[in-house]
Amino acid sequence: MTDPHMETKLNEYVDGTLAAHDRASVEAHLADCAACRAAVAELHSLSAAAASLPKSIEPGRDLWAGVETRIAQRATWNVQRLQWRAALAAAAAVVIALGLYRLLPPSTAPYRPAGQGWAAVQADFDRASDELSRILAAERGRLRPETVALLERNLAVIDAAIAESRAALARDPASAELRRLFAAAARQKVELLRWAARVAAS
Amino acid sequence: MHSDPTDLIHRAQQGDRTAFEALYRAHAGRVHALCLRLTADRALAEERTQDAFVRAWERLATFRGESAFSSWLHRLTVNEVLLRRRAERRREQRVVTSDDPAALERPGGADTSSGNALDLERAVAALPAGAREVFVLHDVEGYRHEEIAELTGIAVGTSKAQLFRARRLLREALNR
Repeated sequence: MTDPHMETKLNEYVDGTLAAHDRASVEAHLADCAACRAAVAELHSLSAAAASLPKSIEPGRDLWAGVETRIAQRATWNVQRLQWRAALAAAAAVVIALGLYRLLPPSTAPYRPAGQGWAAVQADFDRASDELSRILAAERGRLRPETVALLERNLAVIDAAIAESRAALARDPASAELRRLFAAAARQKVELLRWAARVAAS
Repeated sequence: MHSDPTDLIHRAQQGDRTAFEALYRAHAGRVHALCLRLTADRALAEERTQDAFVRAWERLATFRGESAFSSWLHRLTVNEVLLRRRAERRREQRVVTSDDPAALERPGGADTSSGNALDLERAVAALPAGAREVFVLHDVEGYRHEEIAELTGIAVGTSKAQLFRARRLLREALNR
């Protein structure tokens, strides 16, 4: 069976995939060719032997422990991903709430006196914000890129609110309402940074 | 522990790892045999068996019961093995030769295999990767060429050519 064309024919004959007229042609050839008859017998034998090989071969060692460990890791990743999603949803809600808060009339906005000088409040915020930003920058490589992108978008919104508040305060330093707006945005930023740094480091 | 496969599958789909372990115990031998024959490498076959079950766990929710669970798992295993082989082409050279005849002996069960079957296992393991995969899928596992083409990404004609080549090489090896 050195002829490639005949090899194909005989294999398809054994597999039962030949059209009727080709099948008849091969059978006519087999009647006269002992070598091809022997080849067909071997092919039948080989296919039968292959089909009867054991379908199940147990591994040489128990592989379940490795499977279970990996499944458990995936479960942990999934939980962390869900936590991220939930937290980012909360952050987005904070941004929306901040926007709504800014629309409230002054009489309805809660106000708690800081109990210290206004310059000290701003300095505290700047220090906390810088420190947390540094921590987050060091750990951000452990976060998924899309998570970092979403976090940065939220921070950009809060930073814009802080910048607006500061600019307005520069024009009207005595306004209690502007101070409340600034304090609210600053608090949200610190909370978001603190939370992100904690999760990234965990 | 429940042994009803449908109940086990349902519980595993809900995240019950104990139920999934029972499924693993029931199907590990079948999956491992397939991985062993497709890879011709005992260590790699164990890795792929684990890969297949991890993948099955991740995709369990997609099993709707249209086919038997074993068929679903089987196809997923073939996909996993072939996908990873494509990603690790260099491993293609790791065929078992007659210098390593123990590689395809059945751990703990060689006494139940006839000498002819063992010869065939070794000869299959020594085939070139492409021919071996098609032979295992077609002649051992009973896939059609159209299914093999879909699973492996080759043409139906190529699948046939690989099968016929594999049979020729096996006949030569077994007649020596």
